[in-house]
Amino acid sequence: MECKTKGSSVTSFQGRGNSVEKATVVVIGGGATGVGILRDLAMRGVDVLLLEQRDLVYGSSSRYHGLLHSGGRYAVKDAAAGKECIEENTILRKIGKHCVEATEGFFIRLPEDDKAFEEKWVEGCRKVGIPAIPISPEEAWRLEPNLTRRIQSVYRVPDAAIDGFRMAWQNVASARRYGGRVRTYTEVIGIEQSNNQVVGVTVRNFFTGEVEKIACDFVVSAAGSWAGEIAGLAGIKVHVQPDRGTLLAFNHRLSSRIINRLRPASDGDIFVPHGSITILGTTSSPAESPEDNLPSTQEVLAMMKIGEATFENLGQYRLLRAFTGTRPLYSADPSAKGRGASRNFVILDHEKDNVKGFASIVGGKFTTYRLMAEKMSDLVCRQLKVTAPCRTAEEPLVEDPSPGLLEKARHYFPAYGTELAASRLGAERLEKVVQSMEQDPEKRQLVCECENITLAEVEAAAQDSTSHCLSDVRRKTRLGMGTCQGAFCTFRSVGVADSQNLTWGQDTNKLLQEFLQGRWNGIRPILWGNTLREAELTRGIYAGMLNINGVIDNEGK
Amino acid sequence: MRESDVIVIGSGFAGLIAAAAADKRGKKVTVLSKGVGTLTIGGGTIDLLGYGNDGRPLANPAAGLAAIEPAHPYKKIGSPAIYAAIKFFLAICESAGYPYLGRLEEMKWIPTAAGTLKPTCLVPKTMDTTCLKSAHTVYAAGFQGLKDYYPHLVAKNLSKLPGYDKNYEIVMVNPHFTDGRDVSALDVARWLDTGTGRKECIRQLVKKVKAGAVILMPPVLGTSPDYQVLEEMETALDCRLVETVAIPPSVTGFRLRSMMLNYLKTAGVRIIEQVSVARAIMEKGKCLGVVTQNIDRERTYYAKNFILANGGFYGGGLRAEPGQAIEPIFNLPVEAPAKQEEWGNRQLFSPEKQSFAKIGITVDNKMRPLAPNGSIAIENIFIAGRNLRGYDFCFEKSGNGVALASGYQAAMSV
Repeated sequence: MECKTKGSSVTSFQGRGNSVEKATVVVIGGGATGVGILRDLAMRGVDVLLLEQRDLVYGSSSRYHGLLHSGGRYAVKDAAAGKECIEENTILRKIGKHCVEATEGFFIRLPEDDKAFEEKWVEGCRKVGIPAIPISPEEAWRLEPNLTRRIQSVYRVPDAAIDGFRMAWQNVASARRYGGRVRTYTEVIGIEQSNNQVVGVTVRNFFTGEVEKIACDFVVSAAGSWAGEIAGLAGIKVHVQPDRGTLLAFNHRLSSRIINRLRPASDGDIFVPHGSITILGTTSSPAESPEDNLPSTQEVLAMMKIGEATFENLGQYRLLRAFTGTRPLYSADPSAKGRGASRNFVILDHEKDNVKGFASIVGGKFTTYRLMAEKMSDLVCRQLKVTAPCRTAEEPLVEDPSPGLLEKARHYFPAYGTELAASRLGAERLEKVVQSMEQDPEKRQLVCECENITLAEVEAAAQDSTSHCLSDVRRKTRLGMGTCQGAFCTFRSVGVADSQNLTWGQDTNKLLQEFLQGRWNGIRPILWGNTLREAELTRGIYAGMLNINGVIDNEGK
Repeated sequence: MRESDVIVIGSGFAGLIAAAAADKRGKKVTVLSKGVGTLTIGGGTIDLLGYGNDGRPLANPAAGLAAIEPAHPYKKIGSPAIYAAIKFFLAICESAGYPYLGRLEEMKWIPTAAGTLKPTCLVPKTMDTTCLKSAHTVYAAGFQGLKDYYPHLVAKNLSKLPGYDKNYEIVMVNPHFTDGRDVSALDVARWLDTGTGRKECIRQLVKKVKAGAVILMPPVLGTSPDYQVLEEMETALDCRLVETVAIPPSVTGFRLRSMMLNYLKTAGVRIIEQVSVARAIMEKGKCLGVVTQNIDRERTYYAKNFILANGGFYGGGLRAEPGQAIEPIFNLPVEAPAKQEEWGNRQLFSPEKQSFAKIGITVDNKMRPLAPNGSIAIENIFIAGRNLRGYDFCFEKSGNGVALASGYQAAMSV
């Protein structure tokens, strides 16, 4: 783990002398907003450290449909949000092109959807500046043959699909180039103050339980659904109501484009294609806690029913899994709930609550994470008297691999694997992976056939300082996220972890069980059809054949 | 109209055993086979019963059978038939020149590719672990390029288990496969099928292993149901070789399947491959025939009796929709929890059996399907294998065991 410290102005912190880690700014939360702030501040030359309680995008930033909004969704109800979306959409396509699939989107109106809303929507898009181009249903069916024939009207909008995992990692890669630091599995359990001024945080290692202090001048809470808890550490009330949203992943690309229903925002009515899969979302109901993220069959069936209005043959497609996230809805008015609450973001400078050097950023949405980071970083820089301007909208997250490197990579990667790996890894890491494959032919093996991930890439991800379990490797590589949901690659990746002599790779039966349990959480609510068949196979291999969980009889020996 | 005495639907282990046992009784048997069954996935060991309902290991499978719950297929089949089924199977192995070891009163704990042990009952000689008990040095062998086998993992985990604290050494064999090609255990087994492959493997190993030691191998000792590879290598190396249980494709399962198919072909059993049974022709509560669909045509097969051994959810003998399970050919009643949430436990590796695994067709002691009121649903149909209700083969380790016993019992009932 990198723990080097650049000069910090902290002087008043009462820690363990020189051994205390220091940073000028500590960012709490490794979701989209947190990594955005990390990158923004690092690029402005601020010494910044991000602390995440688990792995990056553990919370809502990976548990959503992966839609880069055009703004159409908000055009009627919230023009300001719509405008932010279309502006950020344009920026992210440019700086994050390796995370974005420019699919475009349709808004379709069905007979049961209000015609009057369509008129308001068209007017809303026009006002905000969202290009919404009407096309005929016939043209829509030509482009998207699976769509229902009941369409009344269709508009094309510049929606896109965005990969939350990759976006986070590439933000971190960019921030690291400017000295930004990340510590995962580091829970903040205290915000230290001296004379109402923040002087540091107390953290606990998720695995070892070890507690330590980190000195800083400023704490930014970008903790999403946990923002209320973090503010509470400083004795401040911030009302964040986590709101459950369940989504479904289909093992097929149902359409080439994102499909929205042209009606007021509602459950289960957006389809977002990603690579070879499609995500359908989402529901909305109050969550018991930010960790209330196990999907239920009831939610799944309700969404299937709504989704069938858009794709009538939806039931015939294989479901990969269901997953649930919590929207971190913020409301100054605690009685607003669910979609009724605003989706705008708010920055709370807690100087108003009599704590200097502490601010929370709450609410908002993935599409506007960069803008949120910019505004938050502006506030931090004002207070730290840093004058460097924000440059996150101009500089790409990762550099494009050179044509030469791609050409070399093509010798070792299977068919379309080169492009996939290049966009996952970015130029720097791709170069290392290609080098490893060049030197040792065995590293060219596919550990995960579903997602085209080679042994070299799995090894590189496993060795990263932020990897502590197989799920961390999964989030970096997409290992186990494809058709087989870990049936084969789980065993292989455990073999790889074991061979790498990693500190976390020792108890291999535990690694196997943990990883497969993670997959199971999303499979259990949808145990029918081919999903059930796959579950039988997976369980047959790991429990039936390998007996990774069974008690072993001493007397039997 | 050509009519069989018995049509067996499905050519997994249950179907193959049923066909063999019915043939032995002098019946004219036809097997309708869609795919290859799960033998080539699950492996060639016959797990009878390893764990009780509390998840504790049983002293031996026979002890577990004595206490088995009423809904379990073993209870319906009964101990005498289970003993007879094992005897029948062991005799087939013996006559095929591929004898299996084991008996109901002895639990065998065999090493797996994860470095764990799993309880089983009948195994090929390549999985005989008696030599391990007295061994001082154990070589964990691997093959370069073989991607689903990690000898270090096997050695590291095994060494922590009681009775397995030996001196482990890793030895690697290079089968010289094309650079970077994905290699499975089946590829290595095919290499060892050849004289040059065996010679090369022995040449490399002999330099690295001491005589008298045990070599733990991935399951690669040839694809044919015989012990030629095992014996030749053991003699040349003066070592004992033990195959572990590894992830699919299963070479030991291939061998077992080949052995059974050879047996049936010699016996003159008709096997129709790559046909899918679409529907049944019924008359007065009896099945007269089944209609198969092939690429270009439908065909009807008539028989006096039918053994349905086409698998559970994985094999396609059962289908699941939200909240219900269906048997698609005869529409036999299938018991399943009405609440979908109750199909699976919260934990995948739960200390209790999984409900979805126990979903299946309820039968009487002759393996005839029962309606919810306890009456026989269709008189001349008999059920065998994974589509039976009431057992979780992963939890209790009864994979191939229930298939063997129920396949045999169904054949005895026709």
